[in-house]
Amino acid sequence: MSILFSGRASSGASAHKISLGRRFVMFWVNHVRQALFSLGELWRTPSASILTIGVLGVSLTLPATLHLLVKNVQQVSDSFTQAAEISLFIKDGTDDRQINSLLKILQADNDIARVTHISKQQALAEFADVSGFGAALTYLTDNPLPDVLLVLPKNTSAGSARQLLDRLSKERIVEFGKLDIDWLTRLDAIVSLLRQAVLVIAILLLGAVLLIIGNTIRLSIMSKKDEIEVMKLVGATDAFIQRPFLYSGVWFGVFGGLLAFLIVEAMLWWLQGAIGSVTSLYDSEFRLMAFSVTEFFSLMLLAVLLGLTGSYLSVRRHISAIEPTGP
Amino acid sequence: MLEFDQVSKSYPGGFVALDRVSFKLEKGEMAFLTGHSGAGKSTLLKLISLIERPSVGRVLINDVDLSRIRRPHIPYVRRDIGIIFQNHRLLMNHTVFDNVALPLVIEGFSGKDMVKRVHAALDKVGLLDKVRCLPQTLSGGEQQRVGIARAVVNKPPLLLADEPTGNLDPDLSKDIMRVFEAFNQVGVSVLVATHDLGLVARMKYRTLTLKQGKMINDGLLQYQEDPL
Repeated sequence: MSILFSGRASSGASAHKISLGRRFVMFWVNHVRQALFSLGELWRTPSASILTIGVLGVSLTLPATLHLLVKNVQQVSDSFTQAAEISLFIKDGTDDRQINSLLKILQADNDIARVTHISKQQALAEFADVSGFGAALTYLTDNPLPDVLLVLPKNTSAGSARQLLDRLSKERIVEFGKLDIDWLTRLDAIVSLLRQAVLVIAILLLGAVLLIIGNTIRLSIMSKKDEIEVMKLVGATDAFIQRPFLYSGVWFGVFGGLLAFLIVEAMLWWLQGAIGSVTSLYDSEFRLMAFSVTEFFSLMLLAVLLGLTGSYLSVRRHISAIEPTGP
Repeated sequence: MLEFDQVSKSYPGGFVALDRVSFKLEKGEMAFLTGHSGAGKSTLLKLISLIERPSVGRVLINDVDLSRIRRPHIPYVRRDIGIIFQNHRLLMNHTVFDNVALPLVIEGFSGKDMVKRVHAALDKVGLLDKVRCLPQTLSGGEQQRVGIARAVVNKPPLLLADEPTGNLDPDLSKDIMRVFEAFNQVGVSVLVATHDLGLVARMKYRTLTLKQGKMINDGLLQYQEDPL
């Protein structure tokens, strides 16, 4: 494109008879070439690059770790959905027919996932088994335990479980219902607090990452001030000059993200043994969850976006500010 | 080709660098621009290469008023002007080839086409054998010629040079001027700013002389023992 000499365009590259497809291919080839060139630039200034990548990696590690923590706590709290189980104690002296009909009604109820009937006899047998009072119980003349219906609500959140409890307690043959819900509410509150804390910390750290990348790119622009002036004098557009710096930002993101991933994996590996011995004491089936593939790619995407945004903010401000001062 | 129409340039603080300068450089013409340092030579070149804007008056290239060129389009204007700098301004950590290829890369050339043009430009300035060297390993005259090769590699119709022989001895200066003459002979308009009056007088080209921002001579310069 020539503004001054309309006839001259024919000598420019754009006027060459290049097919659209080939130009499309060349566009990508050029971008790949510039990306590799930027990678080479990072390689040529290893100390500065490693520092920036290190800071980026560590800054991303903390939110990533917290995210995993929340995820694992959630896994624990999910395994306690049984906690929202409602126990319905049946009035003494109710006959089996009535209990069975209530059982049928509850099984058909849309809000209820599962109903189990524990009869007096079963309860007594279990109690004798577990408590160790087996011998003493034989001295009882009759069974003091009531029939119990265990109701698992479909929606295990505290509020709806309580509503269901209120409704079921009104049944005629139900003595009273019981729902141990307080500690579940507390756990919910703690998990959501944790999640919000993670969000705040993540936002702060990601802001820091933006500033760090912006500053690194700014320094690299300043160190190439002369080169940029020359490029502007021979007709480079700002977009052309910016591109290598934007690619540097992307590379910082890629390497920072990988570093964060590796740190987290190493940490998990390190903790695995310790957590294993704790959970085996509690006889729990808890397994430490690592990153899923989606989470890995989200982490990388986030890191690359941060790198790109940080360098873009810096590049926009500083490249247009560099103007050649004279031939 | 190049036209200055009553152009003045004053800087903040009241310093007048150019005072109502008018001249016209035809297509394919070669001219010298002389004057003491501070006479306004550099300012005049800056106005052409759009580093500065005139305070008053119009600068036209090929009948296009440069005041109409907005900032995003400045790079495209500069691609039509080959500029040669006094301190040659090469990228010291890149090879001669990369330096000369820079304007072509910017314009989107690649592959064989680019290599061909770079080699042609280096051939014209007689440095084809130094294509893989770093500029540091070259002499001052050779560095300046690399700068010229870079300025002409995309065949601009207008060539500006700011003190291209400033740091060179007379023989090398003459060589450089021969290179400019060669480009002029193939139709490129050339404007060379220099204070080397002896050289200017020997070359017998049109000479524009600036003194304190005013154009005091336009035409052949007669060599005097005590010029200006």
